Amino acid sequence: MKRKMRGRGVAASWYGIARTATIDRAGAWAELDDGGTAKVLTGVTEIGEGILTLLSQVAAEELGVKPEQVTIGDNDTARSPEAAHAGATRQTYMIGNSVALACREAKARLFDEIAQAWEVPVEDLRSFDGFLWAESTNKRITMEEAVALCKKRGVVPVGSGSFTAHGTGLDPVDGHGSPWQAYVFGTQVAEVEVDTITGEVQVLGIWAAHDVGRAINPRGVEGQIEGGVVQGLGQALMEDYQTSEGHPVTHGFAKYILPTSLDVPQINSVIVEDPDPLSPLGAKGIGEPSLIPTAPAVMNAIYDAIGARIRDLPATPERVLAALHEKRRADAQTA
Amino acid sequence: MPELELDLTVNGRRITRHVDPSYRLLDLLRDDLALTGTKEGCGAGECGTCSVFVDGKLFKSCLMPASKAQGTTIETIEGLSRPGELTPVQRAFHKTGASQCGYCIPGMVMAATSALRENPAAGIEEIKERMGGNICRCTGYTKIFEAVEIARDVIAGTLPETALNPELTKTSYIGHNTRRLDAPSKVSGRLKYAGDMEMQGMLHMQVLRSPHAHARISRIDTSKAEALPGVHCVITCDDVPGEDGFGVFVHDQPIMARGKVRHVGEAVAAVAADTVRIAREATKLIAVEYEPLPGLYDPEEALRPGAPVIHDYAADNVVKHIPLRKGDIETGFAAAELIIEERFSTQQVEHAYLEPEAGIAYVDHDDVVTVISPSQNITHHRHMLSTIIDKPINKVRFIMSPVGGGFGGKEDMIYQGMLALSAMKSGRPVRLVFTREESIMASAKRHPSRTSYRMGLTKEGRITAVEFSMLSDGGAYGMSSEGVMRKAAILSCGPYEVENIKVDTTVVYTNNTPSGAFRTFGGMQAQFATESMMDMAAEKLGLDPFEIRRRNMMKAGSRTHTQQTLNSASIDRVLEAAETASRWEAGPPNVRGANRSDLDGPDTRQPCTLGARFNEARHQIEKAKVAS
Repeated sequence: MKRKMRGRGVAASWYGIARTATIDRAGAWAELDDGGTAKVLTGVTEIGEGILTLLSQVAAEELGVKPEQVTIGDNDTARSPEAAHAGATRQTYMIGNSVALACREAKARLFDEIAQAWEVPVEDLRSFDGFLWAESTNKRITMEEAVALCKKRGVVPVGSGSFTAHGTGLDPVDGHGSPWQAYVFGTQVAEVEVDTITGEVQVLGIWAAHDVGRAINPRGVEGQIEGGVVQGLGQALMEDYQTSEGHPVTHGFAKYILPTSLDVPQINSVIVEDPDPLSPLGAKGIGEPSLIPTAPAVMNAIYDAIGARIRDLPATPERVLAALHEKRRADAQTA
Repeated sequence: MPELELDLTVNGRRITRHVDPSYRLLDLLRDDLALTGTKEGCGAGECGTCSVFVDGKLFKSCLMPASKAQGTTIETIEGLSRPGELTPVQRAFHKTGASQCGYCIPGMVMAATSALRENPAAGIEEIKERMGGNICRCTGYTKIFEAVEIARDVIAGTLPETALNPELTKTSYIGHNTRRLDAPSKVSGRLKYAGDMEMQGMLHMQVLRSPHAHARISRIDTSKAEALPGVHCVITCDDVPGEDGFGVFVHDQPIMARGKVRHVGEAVAAVAADTVRIAREATKLIAVEYEPLPGLYDPEEALRPGAPVIHDYAADNVVKHIPLRKGDIETGFAAAELIIEERFSTQQVEHAYLEPEAGIAYVDHDDVVTVISPSQNITHHRHMLSTIIDKPINKVRFIMSPVGGGFGGKEDMIYQGMLALSAMKSGRPVRLVFTREESIMASAKRHPSRTSYRMGLTKEGRITAVEFSMLSDGGAYGMSSEGVMRKAAILSCGPYEVENIKVDTTVVYTNNTPSGAFRTFGGMQAQFATESMMDMAAEKLGLDPFEIRRRNMMKAGSRTHTQQTLNSASIDRVLEAAETASRWEAGPPNVRGANRSDLDGPDTRQPCTLGARFNEARHQIEKAKVAS
């Protein structure tokens, strides 16, 4: 066997969107504000996934303004409607859709007033990127002017939205039930190089194909895939929280080893869009699912490279060497 | 305490300060100069969030005593550009989406700036190496590398500055790479996380934690701590006015240990004082008498008859068991032509968000108890806190501060209750910032798991039956364990249609660090086992790994493991997309790595061999040798 052995492996996966085996819900308020800007209030803030940007895109699209003209209110139980927790791959699906619904209501208020003022059918009105116009006419104004006109008529264009995902509980005996209304699927291929003397595994490439429903911000989706893959790689190869009789042994980053810039493979993301038919946006989610296939794809690739199966994570150099030793012993016995 | 006089230049301004001699450069910058863009992630020089320039060289400011900064010139993230302006490196980070939670980003920007100052022509290998001392937990580094390469080329003039501009759209903002709204505040260090916030009259909290994994508490004497000058209040479980107990599914955890401790690092008492130092001194004056109890450190031992009981309500130590039954596995295994039996295990994993837990609590003018913290679930936390402090819901307010990484680890209300109680007792705002060690020992982890797997298949590779049993260590408290077991069970057998299944997932209490919510919530542990089994089966049957997955994959109309009928299933599309993108060479997974033709493509990186940053010097030496 050469010192450096390469191999490839694949793993598939699936995941459910939003809270599990229960009815999930989220609320939002929206207002088309002076200057053609917009306010959106929802019980959520950024945990890093990009939700604020995504919500500004959704609000901009629904209202007809620019994303940078949207202000998202802080997450505050005393000031904003319930949107519940930032987890369960539910932010895009639950909050995104409730914001879309709230914006639709606010826009409908505005459009009703403009349609009456212009004496055109409301169905002919359109708005995008800071302008509002009536199809097949030369009537076109800025959103700033539109909001001013609406307010002059005595109406503040506000709206609220509530979005529901209908999951059901599991039967306590056989577990039957419909835990989610939307599912996503993913597949990753890993290419590794195993050093058969040191046992070190380097992941050189990952090809990650994930269904996200609809990619509202493709670059943001890629960021979630890349982050999930590298957390999956950490779990596959190095991360290991250990205790001894309950006492933490790996109590700092000197002992708890995390992936750094030198461990990262080239990550090739492929975004697949299978829109969700049950929600206004059609988007599903990507936060958690991106992590799942990485570790098994890497273990399958290690097997392809050296013929040793790692069943216990993480595949540290010590474990890889032990598995190689075991394989050589077994090969010698059968020979 | 004697004070140290320092005279140095920070971001172009001469600074003279008298500081505590125990100060690190990081403390001077953050606490004295309010330059909170420099973050503390670990306090041990391991993560790089506190990176600054000292006399032009990149330094980790948590490792440098403030006294060593005498006479130096310091540049922090705030000094890189004037307010409202961004450097090309910062603009490139904005452009590529290189910041997610943003907590590591000021340090990352400093490291990237350093790399390009050291070598404006640095190649990607050198950039990676020069940034190797900075940890990012969110991004997977990829967009950061992209940003640094763009910035390098813009600075060098080989890429026009317009490369940093936003992408335009004429049709729709859905599907558009809108730049992150929060990026300018993150790349410039302006965003305030909970630990960066201050309030008038704010006190500092420190927590006394259990040194025992399992022990009865016979007495807590706080009198000496309360008598220490500068201490405003000491709290224990006796200060809880309402019904004590929190948890995501079962409220089995008291705000502070009540009667006994169940894991090392569990909060026992807390002090609010004028300074962190006084609060820490005071925790050492709290006398706690423990009677050690036999501990449980292995999930299988937890199930043995006669095992120590961790929680009285659960005499069998079982937090939750989730069963799934579909079809009849005996029939399924009888029809199988190949049966594979294997065991798998996964380890306990730390979230390692770069922002340690932090928060501020205060009681406002309307008697509303308010907690600002990076909580991932303020809605549930306010419900629980209102019961714990016995106040109506509208007198409890949770504000979610920017979260410096969560991944599920900030769903548990492990410190917000202590903050609320001390704010109520002292009448002052109180802030708590965890150390990295505290964060690691007190917060939940990914559940470690042990899975027994039995799979039956036909010669054609169709799965006829699966028997799947997973045992997880939930540690000392329930936290999200119940939900994690449920999700692990639902997803267990993967995206495959299996007629006959018997799935059991069980989680037990032990005296280990608690396990809780972590990105995938049990899905990863279960599917690691399933996807390993699929490849083992494919090898035995001589099938390509994509092919065996296609032969079993779910389709529209398939019944899931919980007997839900799917309206659609995109597994066929993602399999094909990955197969095509990776230029996969078909064949069974029988150790053909050495003979594959699809390896080492342009879409892979080169193996890492350290030393890229010396390449230029090496090149110069070689040239000099040739010349001589």
